[in-house]
Amino acid sequence: MADAAEVAEAYAHWREMCNANERLRRMLRGWDRIVHLEATDTGDGFTVSVRDQTLGPLAVGTDGAPDLVVRATSEDFADMFWGDLNPSEKYMSGEIVLAGSQEDVMRLDAMSMVAFLDQ
Amino acid sequence: MDDRLQCEVLVVGAGYAGLAAARELRRRGVEVLVAEARDRVGGRVWTETTPSGALVDHGGQWVGPGQDHLQALADELSVGTFPTYTTGEGVELRQGRRSTYGGLIPTSDPAAAAEGVEAIFDLDLAAQDVPLEAPWTAPGAEALDGQTLGTWLGDRLKSPGARSTIDAAVKGVFGAEPGEMSLLFALFYLHAGGGLMNLARTTGGAQERRFVGGAQQMARAMAAELGERVLLSSPVRDFAYGDDAVVATVEDMGGTGSGRGSGDGEGAGGRRTVAARRAIVAMPPAVSARIEWRPALPAARSQLAMRAPMGAVVKVHAVYDEPFWRDEGLNGQLVADEGALRITFDDSPPGAEHGVLMGFAAGNDSRALDRLPDGERRRVLLEDLARAFGPRAATPVELVEQRWCLEPYTGGGPVAVCSPGMLTGCGPALRAPVGAVHWAGTETATRWCGYIDGALSSGRRAAAEVLAALGR
Repeated sequence: MADAAEVAEAYAHWREMCNANERLRRMLRGWDRIVHLEATDTGDGFTVSVRDQTLGPLAVGTDGAPDLVVRATSEDFADMFWGDLNPSEKYMSGEIVLAGSQEDVMRLDAMSMVAFLDQ
Repeated sequence: MDDRLQCEVLVVGAGYAGLAAARELRRRGVEVLVAEARDRVGGRVWTETTPSGALVDHGGQWVGPGQDHLQALADELSVGTFPTYTTGEGVELRQGRRSTYGGLIPTSDPAAAAEGVEAIFDLDLAAQDVPLEAPWTAPGAEALDGQTLGTWLGDRLKSPGARSTIDAAVKGVFGAEPGEMSLLFALFYLHAGGGLMNLARTTGGAQERRFVGGAQQMARAMAAELGERVLLSSPVRDFAYGDDAVVATVEDMGGTGSGRGSGDGEGAGGRRTVAARRAIVAMPPAVSARIEWRPALPAARSQLAMRAPMGAVVKVHAVYDEPFWRDEGLNGQLVADEGALRITFDDSPPGAEHGVLMGFAAGNDSRALDRLPDGERRRVLLEDLARAFGPRAATPVELVEQRWCLEPYTGGGPVAVCSPGMLTGCGPALRAPVGAVHWAGTETATRWCGYIDGALSSGRRAAAEVLAALGR
């Protein structure tokens, strides 16, 4: 189990890596969204905004109407953000659940795969 | 049976499209007859119990999110589903080396995999700009239709690893090489099925769930409702049509098919005619071209049929005493850059009473496999399975091949692929009625084209056209 501070620290690492990745920035073109992260074990919620091809900082709490919701354990969030966990594997096993429009789910799925592969 | 039959609507083809159309019409009180060439219903969906007792789906078998027509039919008929087995890792064979991977995309070469994911992402986004009702009106349609998916991928992908991964996915989805199909068609098809990522997926995608008891049983149930209105072993040979009537000449083959595929020879039982006010032809375009049409079909419709050949696929089931690969942490999925079987899945029954690996040989691999004699084909397939899953995979209890290219009333599978120029040149003829003849079949669907769900929706759409034409 990872507490909110640990998830935030891991996300900061992931965000820096993603925002420096040219392929990911291309994939974010024209996709401004609000994403909620819900940790299924701790009940912690987080909000991330994507704007102008850039991932914003992680805010604790789920504010605003999300375009996408990602549900996973806190440990899986932390491991994914540290680059130790292939999100595609957890999505396939049903341990990470994405809720949103088909296009938004496809985009986040592809981006998270590239973030894992391209690190 | 009389050699002259009469009905209000003749449906040609008792696959999911034709049966859905006939059922819809029957429920509205319309007198229908369904002429089916094979000695069974279901078309490209065919469930069989093999000699070893395994229940295998030789054709379409999955249902996934968004396939609402199919799921609703299964619910209505109380047919249960169960998830495709996905626990554990997949096997990747690349350049002679074996590795395992988690998730959707093989990861032995992460940079190649990332390049491949970005290309799929771009394809899926571009697909959304192609209108489902009229792909030939897409922005830049002629340019898109003037090239193949293969040329697009060739220009786009630098890494051979990325190309081989995407080629395997494309061949698995279309049963064709990327170079065989128009880019516009590929984009339309991807849009209709929610994108290549969605079509390649198990969990959350097109291969998410299977049917308890197999995928053909809903077709059998629909046919049972229609009773004697379904004429099996009755291929239509000749079709005279006008604006308000049709007369079809049907071969009476007497239901004497072998059960392993359908005979294509002349029947022993002679011919009979079926007269109707309207007809729904529910079969792949290329197969409809084998009927003698009187008068000849309009040029666009006739050309369309010639320029939308079927994909090529051999579907293989290897049956084992148990799903031994699961004990090794494998989920039965394979992605390979060589061999006949480039893609496999764990197709074991829900209770895993025995193990089944199912694989596809598609496109050129299918045609190459089909050229080999029986024993040689078996050797090639077992070697491929053993390379991926170890020596135990080489000694199945049973190996079952379904060679769809040899099926005379389908001629390939899983779907027709449109050649460059077809959609912009002939596309509007795909669903446009010709006189009293209406067209159905998964190739005419605007959602889930190529899938069972698309077949169902196409049948219902054609039925609605006919009801309107009949003023019902």
